[in-house]
Amino acid sequence: MTAAISFDGVTKHYRGTREYRALRDDLAGVVGRISGKKRSPRSPVRALEEVSFEIPEGQSFALIGANGAGKTTALRIASRITYPTTGRVRVRGRVGALIEVGTGLHPELSGRENVRLHGRILGLSRRDVQARFDQIVEFAEVQAAIDRPVKQFSSGMQLRLGFSIAAHLEPDVLLVDEALAVGDAGFQAKSVTRMLELLREGRTILFVSHNLYAVEMLCPQGIYLRKGQVVLEGPIQQVLRTYLDDVDSAVLNAHERGSDSVFSGGPLAIEVRGEGPDGRSSLRTGETLTIRCDYECLQPGLRAFFHFGVTDGRAGNIFLASQVVDGDEPLELARRGTVTCAVPALPLLPRVYEIWGEVRVESGWGNFIDWQQLTRFRVESAEEISSVSHSAMDAPVVVPFVFSHRNDATQIAEARQVSEEVTP
Amino acid sequence: MRSQQAREDAVSVDVAGGEAAARISTAPRSAPAEVSEKPILDVEGGPGGISRDALRELWAFREVLWAFAVRQVTVKYKQAAIGVGWAVVQPIAAAGIFALFLGRFANVASEGAPYLLFALCGTVIWTYFSGSAASAAESLVTDSALLRKVFFPREVLPLAAILAGLVDFAPALATLIVAALLYGFVPGLTWLALPLVLAIVVLFATAFGLGLSGLNVYYRDVRYVLPFVLQLGLFASPVVYSLASVPAGSRDLYAVLNPLGAAIDGLRRIVLHNEWPHLWVSFGALGWCAALVVGSYALFKRLERGFADRI
Repeated sequence: MTAAISFDGVTKHYRGTREYRALRDDLAGVVGRISGKKRSPRSPVRALEEVSFEIPEGQSFALIGANGAGKTTALRIASRITYPTTGRVRVRGRVGALIEVGTGLHPELSGRENVRLHGRILGLSRRDVQARFDQIVEFAEVQAAIDRPVKQFSSGMQLRLGFSIAAHLEPDVLLVDEALAVGDAGFQAKSVTRMLELLREGRTILFVSHNLYAVEMLCPQGIYLRKGQVVLEGPIQQVLRTYLDDVDSAVLNAHERGSDSVFSGGPLAIEVRGEGPDGRSSLRTGETLTIRCDYECLQPGLRAFFHFGVTDGRAGNIFLASQVVDGDEPLELARRGTVTCAVPALPLLPRVYEIWGEVRVESGWGNFIDWQQLTRFRVESAEEISSVSHSAMDAPVVVPFVFSHRNDATQIAEARQVSEEVTP
Repeated sequence: MRSQQAREDAVSVDVAGGEAAARISTAPRSAPAEVSEKPILDVEGGPGGISRDALRELWAFREVLWAFAVRQVTVKYKQAAIGVGWAVVQPIAAAGIFALFLGRFANVASEGAPYLLFALCGTVIWTYFSGSAASAAESLVTDSALLRKVFFPREVLPLAAILAGLVDFAPALATLIVAALLYGFVPGLTWLALPLVLAIVVLFATAFGLGLSGLNVYYRDVRYVLPFVLQLGLFASPVVYSLASVPAGSRDLYAVLNPLGAAIDGLRRIVLHNEWPHLWVSFGALGWCAALVVGSYALFKRLERGFADRI
C-alpha cells in the first residue's frame, strides 16, 4: 500500500514565541553579537521532535494529543502552510485542508461572492464552484441570506458556510483540524455524515479533533502525540485509552493531593469514597466497586434516599445506582453511619471515573446534599481486552454478548420440521 | 439526570454504533487512482527562493490572483459613496492644491504648460504608485487569517493589490486626457508611447510592494516607516517640479534610479510637449525596474517560508 502521507523525521522549532518583532530587536541582537555581549538566547519552542509515521492511501487516521502537543503544527506542515525545521513530509495526491474553517470569509462581500472566492482559493476551478454552488449553499443552510454581506451573518452561519465550501472539495487527501466543532448538534451530525461519505469514496483522511466521540467514529486508527513526539500509533481504542490514561493521571494526581471530600447540607455531612476489593480507590475491570458513604447526621431519625452515579466526565452518567428509582425504602439515619453501594463485576474499562451523588429527603422534595461530584476512583486493567466488544469513548464498558445466526439451512430444517408436524 | 433505563438503551445503541463504525472502515473502497497519476508534494525545510517551480505554481494560481484583485476592487467600491469617482477626485484635488500653493503662490516653473495640467501628470502617477504600494505592503498582514489556514503562493496577495490599483489608474488617466483636451493639448503620435510609461510605474510599484509586504510580516515597523518614506518620495520625485530642475550632470542617472522620475517626465513629454519620452532614460528605468522586481521577488520567496510562523 503506498503511503498517502508520510512524515519522515520531522522536527519543528520556533525561535521564541510568535511575537511581533521590531527592527530594534534584531538590531540589538546584531549589536550584542558585535560587542561580544551575549544575550541569553530564547529557548526555542519545540513543536515537533523527530515525528515519523505513514498513512496508507484510503485510510483514515486520527491525531490525538493535548493542547500544544503539535497536532495542528503537523497538519500545517502537511498542507504547506508552514515548513519543517528538519525532516520531510511527503503527500501523494491533491490536498485539501480544513483548518479552522470559516473565518477567511470577507465581511463586505456577499455569501455568494465569498463562495466563489473561497472555492477558488481552496482549489476548486471556476466550473467546479459553479456546479456545486447550490449544493454548498444548501448544506450550509444559508439559502435565504446568500446574497447578503457576510458581516450580517451570524457567527454560526459563517462557520457553516466555510465548512460547507471546504467539505465539497473532494481532494485525494483531506487534512481536518477541529473543523467539525462548528454549528449545532444537527449540523455536526450532518458534517460527520459528510466526512463518512468522503471516507467511503476512498479518500485518505488525517483528522485532528478534541471531540473524541467523532474521532472514534471516523478513524479506526490513531496516532498519539505528546509534547511533539509520537508516543503511540495503532488501533484507535488503544491510542485513546493511552491518551485518556495520561489525562486521568494528571487529574487524579491533582485530586489526591488533597481536595475537599466532605460535603454537607442541612443536618447531614457525608464523605464518599469509591473503593475496590482491597480498600484502595482503584480496582480492575470486573471487580466489585464499593461506593462507601460515611455520614454524620445531627438529627438522627431522618429518612433519606441515596443516589449515586458514575461517569467518565461526559455530561450524563454511565450508570446510576439509585434508591429512589429502584423503589427501595428510605434509610433511617443514625447519628453516625456508613451507607455502601456495591456494584459487583464493574464493567468499566481502565480510566478515572467520577462518582456523583445526592442525598434526598424522604418526602421527595429537596436535597440534603445536592447532585454534585463527590469523589473519583480509578479502574486499572492487568491484561488487554479484545477490541470487539467495547468502545473507548461512547460506552466504555465491556458488554459480553453472543450472536446467533439464522441462515437458510436452519430455516429450511425448521420449516421441514414444522411441516412434518403439521402433516399427519 | 437520566434514568437507568434510558442509559441502558443508550449503551446498547452505542455498542451498535461502534460496530457500525467498524463495519464502515472495513467496507470495500473504490480503488484509488493509479499511483502515477497523483501529484506528489514534498514539504521540506531549507531556504526558499525563486525557481521555475515557484513561477509555475504562481501561474497555476492565476485565477486566485484574479479573484483576490476582483475582491479588493469590489470591496473598495461597495463601501465608498463616490465609488469610482474617488479615483478621479484624488489626483485632481492634489493637483489643484499644488497648483494653488506651488504654481501660483510659489511660482514653481511648469515647463511652459498650465501648472494644473503639469501637476496632474505627476499626481496621476504618484496616486497610483503610493496607493498600490501601501495597499500591497499591508496585504499579507490584512489577510493573516488566510495565511494561517490555506496554501497558495503568498505573492498572490501583494500582486492582487497592484492589479486592483490599475482599476483606479484607468479613470485617472482618462481624467488626465480630458483635462489635456480642455486645455487644448491634442493627442498626437507620441501618445503611442504611453504603455511604456505605464509599464515603468507598474513594475516599480510591483517591486516596491512585493518587497515591503514581505518585510512587513517580519518587522511591523514597516507600517510606520512607509508613510514617512512615501512623503519623502513625493518630494524626491518630480511630481510638483520639473525633472529639468535636477542638475544636468546627474539628471539622467537620477531619472533611472528613481523610475518615477523617468515615468513622470515621460508622461509630461507626451502630453504637454508632444515629444517622445527620453529613449535611454526610459528603457534604462524599465530595465532597472525589471531587475528590482526580480530582486524583490527573490527576497519575498526567501521570506515566505516563515510567514505563517510570524504573522
